[in-house]
Amino acid sequence: MRIVVAEDLYLLRDGMVRLIEAYGHQVVATATTGPETLGALLTWRPDVAVVDVRMPPTQSDEGLRAALTARRELPGLPVLILSQYVEQLYARELLADGAGGIGYFLKESVFDADQFIDALERVADGGTAMDPAVIAKLLAGAPSNRRLDQLTEREHSVLGLMAEGLSNQAISKRLFLSESAISKYTTSLFGKLGITDDDSSNRRVLAVLTYLNRP
Amino acid sequence: MRLLGTWVARVGEGFVRACVVAVVGLLVPGVWAVAVAWGIWWGAGNPWSWVAPFVLGCVGTLALSRPVCRTVRFLVAKWTATVVPAGYRRAGPVTRMSTGYWWNGFSYERTRRDALMDQKWRVRLSDPANWRDLRFVGIVPFTAGVVAAVPAAGVAAAVVGLGQPGLGARIGGALAPVVAVAVAPYAWRPVEPLAVRFLRPSSAMALADRVDELTAQRADATIAQAAEIRRIERDLHDGAQARLVVLGLSLATAEKLMETDPDQARSLMREARIGAATSLAELRELVRGINPPVLNDRGLVDAVRALALDTPLEVTVSADVLLHLDPPIESAVYFGVAELITNAVKHAHATRAHVSLAREGTAADLVAVVEDDGRGGAEARSGGGIDGLRRRLAAFGGTLDVSSPAGGPTLVRMTVPCESS
Repeated sequence: MRIVVAEDLYLLRDGMVRLIEAYGHQVVATATTGPETLGALLTWRPDVAVVDVRMPPTQSDEGLRAALTARRELPGLPVLILSQYVEQLYARELLADGAGGIGYFLKESVFDADQFIDALERVADGGTAMDPAVIAKLLAGAPSNRRLDQLTEREHSVLGLMAEGLSNQAISKRLFLSESAISKYTTSLFGKLGITDDDSSNRRVLAVLTYLNRP
Repeated sequence: MRLLGTWVARVGEGFVRACVVAVVGLLVPGVWAVAVAWGIWWGAGNPWSWVAPFVLGCVGTLALSRPVCRTVRFLVAKWTATVVPAGYRRAGPVTRMSTGYWWNGFSYERTRRDALMDQKWRVRLSDPANWRDLRFVGIVPFTAGVVAAVPAAGVAAAVVGLGQPGLGARIGGALAPVVAVAVAPYAWRPVEPLAVRFLRPSSAMALADRVDELTAQRADATIAQAAEIRRIERDLHDGAQARLVVLGLSLATAEKLMETDPDQARSLMREARIGAATSLAELRELVRGINPPVLNDRGLVDAVRALALDTPLEVTVSADVLLHLDPPIESAVYFGVAELITNAVKHAHATRAHVSLAREGTAADLVAVVEDDGRGGAEARSGGGIDGLRRRLAAFGGTLDVSSPAGGPTLVRMTVPCESS
């Protein structure tokens, strides 16, 4: 994959580039400021970009803005946002266009290199990958959601993993269950929530996230 | 008929008010009259016989001056809605020192009761408002007091005059009630301008008050800042710092075991990774408590929106301020809103809340209103959360109003003056 890395801290940028290259992917460009990021995204049109939220010159959400602007120009441009903290507000903004190809992770997710690269590949394929912390916040922040209370504990954890962007196969590995058991759980929880199941895992994730995102 | 009714009501009301003003205004001269009468009764021969009545007059005037002024202020506020600020000096806090003694701002006392008593008298006697009050009770009998006494005097004159056999006295007695009735609706009114002119705090008193207020605010701010720094130090010391030590230790051990026991080394390294993630999570929480990142990235409105999303409460946010204010003000208002929402969850057991942020008035003050549908009963107890919030806002010249009847709903309004573009 051709990847753009936008991160202003040298050590982290360097480490990330080495990690990505260690997995056999190619970093085509790096950026250290908001405007640079936007430029790199638009010129290189990478298979996926890794973008930090806070960057110079203003040290505010430059990276996020650059990513959102680039995606308006090139709809569906796969972007994985990395940040020291996660906000539902930002997750909602990223998911708002419904085009997929979005990842939103805490920076420490790179600690688990396998999962990080896996998420990066999923995003590059147009899928969605969300940090468990984002999903936990989304699930906790749905106060008047009576339907969520009807889910069993198992269904709840399946819903969370689904929202993170995992496929049935990946969920079955995480939960040490058979794939057929997982699909039984998904069918039943989709029924309880009133969402139509979709074979494409990306559209399924979006449906789940939209459901959780509902104000 | 109705016109007559309202006229009678006006005259009656005016008469009662005039009598009240006359009684209050003439109270101090009454004491003087009693003192003089007492002196005469004892006989003028012995000069020492005047001492006791003189002392009575002085002490009576001093003791009555403040209650009389308070009453006049109360009556004026009740009848005309003109609020005359009192500006009496307020007593400072009485605190217990490490020695066990109580410090009241003037002296150390053995018990809290003694300290309060001592403080009360010192504040009372050294208050510059005493001179203003004395001047007022000296002025009021000869102005508003006399005028207000006219209706009552008219009635008295009628009773006396009509009882006399002489024609002149009878005519006077017949005219007096007419005067009394005509004057009644107006006779009490001079007390209002008089109170406004002579009872308000002098500019020196207002300044002294302001200085006291600012001194207290500065002390509050310093104490709060010191406490905050201590909290951060403690959190770092017990949290991230300790974890980093463990992390280093695990890595050092893993390095040692790499050759001899790779399995053990691997599990140590996994532990180290988990430890690093945990300390990051702790640091994130700490940073959020100092200065929430969204506040820095997006400003107040989005920070409050993000806060609303993270609350286990249905919070709606309406805002028409899309601008960056001074960071300290944004931070104060943000934490204010956060605290009020926490209160709504914890104390009011609310199910939903609404936050609105707006600029109001000619000076475009920032107004933040937090409403919830909880059980109400919130009050600004001294030392409580709302009181602390009020003091933090006061550092920026801001104010806080609470309306929280028992049974709810609670509405808290924070206003902060700010000059921003």
